[in-house]
Amino acid sequence: MKKIILILFCILASVQGCTDDLNTEPLVEQSLDDLLANDPDAVSGILSRLYASFALSGPDGPSSGDISGDTGESPFLRGIINLQDFTADGMKNRWGDDGLDQLTTTSDWDENNKFFGYMYNRVYYTIPQANNLLSVLNSVSIDGQDQVVGEVKFLRGLAYYYLIDTFGKGVLVTENEIGVSAPLPEATRAELFTFVENDLLEAEALMSNTKSYGRANKAAVQMLLAKLYLNAEVYIGEDRYTEALTFIKKVIDEGGYTLAPDFVSNFSGDNDASPEIIFTLIADSETSQSYGNTTYIVNGSMGTETMPIINFGAAEGWSGHRATKAWYGLYDDNDDRGELFWTEGHNYEMADYKAWTDGYPSVKFRNSGFSTTLPATTFSSTDFPLYRLADAYLIYAECVLRGAAGGDAAQALNYVNAVRERSNANAIGSSELTLDFILDERARELNLEGQRRTDLIRFGKFTGNSYVWPWKGNTAQGTSIPDYYSLFPIPLSALEANPNLNQNPGF
Amino acid sequence: MKKIKQCLLLAVFMIPIGIFAQTTVNGTVTDQVTGGPLPGVSIIVVGTSTGTTTDFDGNYTLTVNDGAVLQFSYIGYKTVDIPVTGPNLDLVMEEDRAQLDEVVVIGYGTTTVKDATGSLTAVTSEDFNKGAIVSTDQLLTGKAAGVRITSSGGSPDAAPNIRIRGGASLSANNSPLIVIDGVPIDNTNPAGVNNPFSLINPNDVDSFSILKDASAAAIYGSRASNGVIIITTKKGTSGGPKFNFSSNTSISTVSSKIDLMDGPTYTKFINEYHPTYANLLGTSNTDWQDAIYRAAVSSDHNFSARANLFDKVPTRFSFGYNNTEGLVKTNDYERYTASVKFTPTFFDDHLKIDINAKGISSEKNAVDEGGALGGAVNMDPTKPIYDNSPDNRFGGFYQNTILDDVDNPTRLLLDGQWNPLALLLQRTRPEKVQKILGNVEFDYKMHFLPELRAVLNLGLEASTADIEESFSDNSLATYKFDSSNNDINTNYVFNPGVNYRENQSITNQTMDAYLVYAKRYEEGFLTNFDVQGGYSYQNFRNDGNKEEYRYNNDTGIRELQIDEQNPNNRYFNELNLQSFFGRTNLNLLDKYLVTVSFRADGSSLFSKDNRWGYFPAAALAWKVNEEDFLKDSQVINDLKLRLGWGKTGQQDITGAVGFYPSVPLFEAGSSTGQYLQGVALYSAKPFNEDLTWEKTTTYNAGIDFGLFENRLINGSFDVFYRETSDLLAKVPVAPGQGLTDSFVKNVGETESKGFEVILNATLLSNESTNLEFYSNLSYSRAEVTNLQDVTRISADGSGIPTGTGVNIGYHTVGYQPYSAWVFRQLYDTAGNPIHGAFADFNGDGITDNDDRYFKSLRPNWTFGFGFNFNYNKFDLSTSFRGQIGGQVYNSRRLTSGWVDKAVPNNSNSLSNVLDFNSGAANYNFVNIQGNVPFSDYFLEDATFLRCENIVLGYRLDDILKNTSMRVYGAVNNPFIITNYSGQDPENFNAIDNNFYPRPRSFTLGLSVDF
Repeated sequence: MKKIILILFCILASVQGCTDDLNTEPLVEQSLDDLLANDPDAVSGILSRLYASFALSGPDGPSSGDISGDTGESPFLRGIINLQDFTADGMKNRWGDDGLDQLTTTSDWDENNKFFGYMYNRVYYTIPQANNLLSVLNSVSIDGQDQVVGEVKFLRGLAYYYLIDTFGKGVLVTENEIGVSAPLPEATRAELFTFVENDLLEAEALMSNTKSYGRANKAAVQMLLAKLYLNAEVYIGEDRYTEALTFIKKVIDEGGYTLAPDFVSNFSGDNDASPEIIFTLIADSETSQSYGNTTYIVNGSMGTETMPIINFGAAEGWSGHRATKAWYGLYDDNDDRGELFWTEGHNYEMADYKAWTDGYPSVKFRNSGFSTTLPATTFSSTDFPLYRLADAYLIYAECVLRGAAGGDAAQALNYVNAVRERSNANAIGSSELTLDFILDERARELNLEGQRRTDLIRFGKFTGNSYVWPWKGNTAQGTSIPDYYSLFPIPLSALEANPNLNQNPGF
Repeated sequence: MKKIKQCLLLAVFMIPIGIFAQTTVNGTVTDQVTGGPLPGVSIIVVGTSTGTTTDFDGNYTLTVNDGAVLQFSYIGYKTVDIPVTGPNLDLVMEEDRAQLDEVVVIGYGTTTVKDATGSLTAVTSEDFNKGAIVSTDQLLTGKAAGVRITSSGGSPDAAPNIRIRGGASLSANNSPLIVIDGVPIDNTNPAGVNNPFSLINPNDVDSFSILKDASAAAIYGSRASNGVIIITTKKGTSGGPKFNFSSNTSISTVSSKIDLMDGPTYTKFINEYHPTYANLLGTSNTDWQDAIYRAAVSSDHNFSARANLFDKVPTRFSFGYNNTEGLVKTNDYERYTASVKFTPTFFDDHLKIDINAKGISSEKNAVDEGGALGGAVNMDPTKPIYDNSPDNRFGGFYQNTILDDVDNPTRLLLDGQWNPLALLLQRTRPEKVQKILGNVEFDYKMHFLPELRAVLNLGLEASTADIEESFSDNSLATYKFDSSNNDINTNYVFNPGVNYRENQSITNQTMDAYLVYAKRYEEGFLTNFDVQGGYSYQNFRNDGNKEEYRYNNDTGIRELQIDEQNPNNRYFNELNLQSFFGRTNLNLLDKYLVTVSFRADGSSLFSKDNRWGYFPAAALAWKVNEEDFLKDSQVINDLKLRLGWGKTGQQDITGAVGFYPSVPLFEAGSSTGQYLQGVALYSAKPFNEDLTWEKTTTYNAGIDFGLFENRLINGSFDVFYRETSDLLAKVPVAPGQGLTDSFVKNVGETESKGFEVILNATLLSNESTNLEFYSNLSYSRAEVTNLQDVTRISADGSGIPTGTGVNIGYHTVGYQPYSAWVFRQLYDTAGNPIHGAFADFNGDGITDNDDRYFKSLRPNWTFGFGFNFNYNKFDLSTSFRGQIGGQVYNSRRLTSGWVDKAVPNNSNSLSNVLDFNSGAANYNFVNIQGNVPFSDYFLEDATFLRCENIVLGYRLDDILKNTSMRVYGAVNNPFIITNYSGQDPENFNAIDNNFYPRPRSFTLGLSVDF
């Protein structure tokens, strides 16, 4: 009997020690505490990741993914280009890829289209990551804490802005809802608008105008606020142009930005040196690789069939994107911006959007250096200027034209002409400065910068038949599309995951 | 010769004598396997009461009348009747595996089939598949009811997908637990290994025991929710030394190719449908499938020795060598195996020690299957394989290229599809694995209390894996440019040499310690009982690193890519499982058997509060044939009824969310995934701290029967019902309420039900001829009954090749898991599909998701059957298996079955397409857009009947003294009967895409025992 007891004892004793082994410890990944202890810059590292969400696929290079689906197709910026430019008048894609083709032809949109899902999931990847960082910031103390909190709120606001703009509704989730697993209620566009407005106002107060490469400052927040107010009539049915003007004035007057002397320098491989860019999405051919940053724009616009792609710093041409006459037809002869299309071997008319040679590829974005020599690379090193001063100038002018208080018509004309004269376009007189002119000038200046669909909607020209463009509604000449196309359908996966969500009308 | 003469002479004398007289017969009875003498064999003169038994040396002497027939019988051996034809009658007796007193391993102990209470199936060596067998799972395919084994293709290391009763979970691991000689095997394979079974020499395997229901599997608890497959290897002998040498050689060919266009057909097609691209056509006629496939030659050699070392230690050694060529060129596989088993006993059998060690060394040249198989489909058939022009840059391989600028070229770029043969021949990727699997089991019967045993089993599974990928000179994949040089003729560089390395070591430790108290009573209500209790510890550790390279943007030269945050690209995963368990078996009146077990399982995957799960099980069996009213029945020899109930747990979600899914962690970004300058990027990983055990409750009822003499017909019938709750499923996260868009959660319920029938019959049996038939049939159907807030979950594994992340399969409440969600295709009067036209089920005038319906992809019915026929020294066997129902998505039609596929998309090169003229695809499909990929046009019935093998053997006894030999020829996969229009309907994920064809193999082999 003693022996039995002895054996039992031995077994129990060894088991006691063993059950601790159930607490397995990762050796490569780190807990927050370890991370903070090991890297004094840990918070900046987490913040870096939040910025990267707008340009990269995932933390482990171009083949890793933060969200489900194709890692190349799912980055934020690629979604912005797909949803803002290919659905609009100026840019078309010829691949015929399922989902993208429906965007290009503004037809057959449905909840299954994966490109809507990518945008939606990217928004709702970024927001909880931001919430998580805000809660981390509540528990640590770092230098420049206010600035960082402001940046995080800006990034979260930016993600919400795209939700408001593209889908028009969704759940409102903040750092207070971390850990809530019961499906949250659907928030209206107005509720989201109010939240983002207040949050950004808070952020603006916390931040300075110090410039730091790739990071947001006070001017970037003001720019986002201005865009929110500029589109308030669409988003919430309220005229908020005066507030838009207030904030855009701050950007212009207090931000310390100047127009780059040469337009193309803003879209070249060395555009990090541009004095004009307010908020940029970083790309680097070695350290920040992505198929969804400017790589998508540059390589996608290159085709070896007709173009010397090396001249534009590209090692690959994907023969995908071409502009339409709705864009390149807008320029006067001496406008330098009108030269940024590859016409040789291409037709002016886009009779068949799937034919590479129909329509001119845009070479506005390129991967070659403007003032330096850079090698041709697979991945782009050209940063994406999400916000730049020329946009601010045009917003100023538009607000004035729309009757915002506190603006000055002469100043508006100056700003517009500053933008035009930089590219050797003729200066215009005050009588020519109309809203229609602004819409066209925005196309000339800002197309392929992820703005166009929002602009067309704000000017009432996206849906219906007041304005048609090649392949609108899937016809070569363009045709009317229904009004409900001013919002995208809520992706099926979201509707399935949260029963409180409802499909947008029409879909 | 002299001996034969003597025999003849003797025979001549015997004939007249035999007419009148009695004669004396003597001889020796030996065991077929060990060759050792069999004492105590009962010998009866048929029709009389005369008889005897063999002595200790297996000898007997008996006086019989002329023409007498002797019946030899011995428990556990096949009974034989032999007519006396001379004074000497030796007999080699064959074990009868079908007899129900066979010992089966059930986890922490053994039982006999006769006394088993749970649903278990034993498959022993003579039932194994034969012929060209590379991996152990192939022995079992189609042989066990309710066990569906679907190889992922025909490569030598193709992963087997094994499902017992269909699998219970959605996103957790659905594979059964594999236990080899008492060591539960890791679910994670070493790097470079797809098939864990390829690491055990199939020739060493003695038997499989398959535990299907919860009461049987419960004792393996934490990993037994999907059933358990226990593999026992061959043992040593207690007789004299015995040796076996076996060897075979086989040649394999592609059994079916994809129906693509040949050069002339393609040229005609392009001229007719895409005349503007006719300038891109070449003039060759290349079958790119033939270019990448080969007639593959393989061989397998084994030597084993069994002996009783020092007359004390039964020992078996074996060595094996296998060399298998895959059908795809350069896909070579080579394996050396060695195993040793000692089973000594000490202290008057009080201490039994069982020592097993297996060593495996394998090397596989991994091929880029997607690139080669996909490339062979897409590559333009009018282009040549080789290009011998002097300016060819790619080692003589033809390759589509394009100038970067037509007018002023500075670079010659690769374009379109890469030459698939060049991809194969220009790369080597040896994946080497060394592995040992060993255990020591001490089984000590207490000297002072023999009813009490203490068992300690220590197991180790350790492996190292090394992968090194390198390219030869002039290989396409390393073709880069020097940016500083604009001379098109000199500015390119090739980068031969190493492109990737990975080293990995896996160390898994297992310990079981338990006490068993077993008591047998000579009389009374309780015949015997045992009770056991113990503890089990398993730790799995996987530690590796990778060496990654990149090409310098300026020079085009490959260079090491250093990741500052993780310089070695290390990965480290650890899983720890611990359990406490208890079991008792009661045998009442030798008729009623009761088993009750209980276990507590802990898993490191779950947070502290959710870590432990508790799983009880109970089973009852009634040996009806022991009742008086059946005891003497001539018809019913065996009849047992079984009832079982039990709960098992599932925790293995590592495949979906890794090894640390319950805790918040940060991951450092790689060197290509950095963002802000001067700081290291950290990413918060998604997690779910509420994760806990998925629980499956199984109810099982079964009947085992043996009918007529010697159980001429035997079999079993089982029905089961299974409910799984707290399902571990990867579900879409409510937007914004998690750190990513989809993660594993305990959500919802499934239920499944089904039955299995096993029926074996000896159709013919006499001294020269034996014909046996075996068959199994199983049905199982599962249904998702609850997914909480979610209505359906997109199913991993069901991606269709129309862009990443587009799944056709869904887990939906009210339907079988993994059902396709599709539109009903509309057809014109001629029966051709109308492109993009689908049934508008709800009649609202538009076809949208509301018009989609569900179609089960997985089959409900599977079966296997076969014959074993012996005639004198010939043996002929064949086995068949198949499935009824199930669907397979013919992805080839999606990727290559539409008219516009042929023309370049983002290149200047044409792509081949399916042969529209032969009906492989339909001209109505011009492009693939919108809802077209979700059409049920792409789904086809996956019903099939496959002939697994046909084997013909001949036995030569006594070719030398004590030496026998069997020679055989075999055909594996000779034919398949199916209506599927694609390559092969047997497809685990039901998505037929870039499928590595299963070989048809012809084998010649021999096996020598001496």
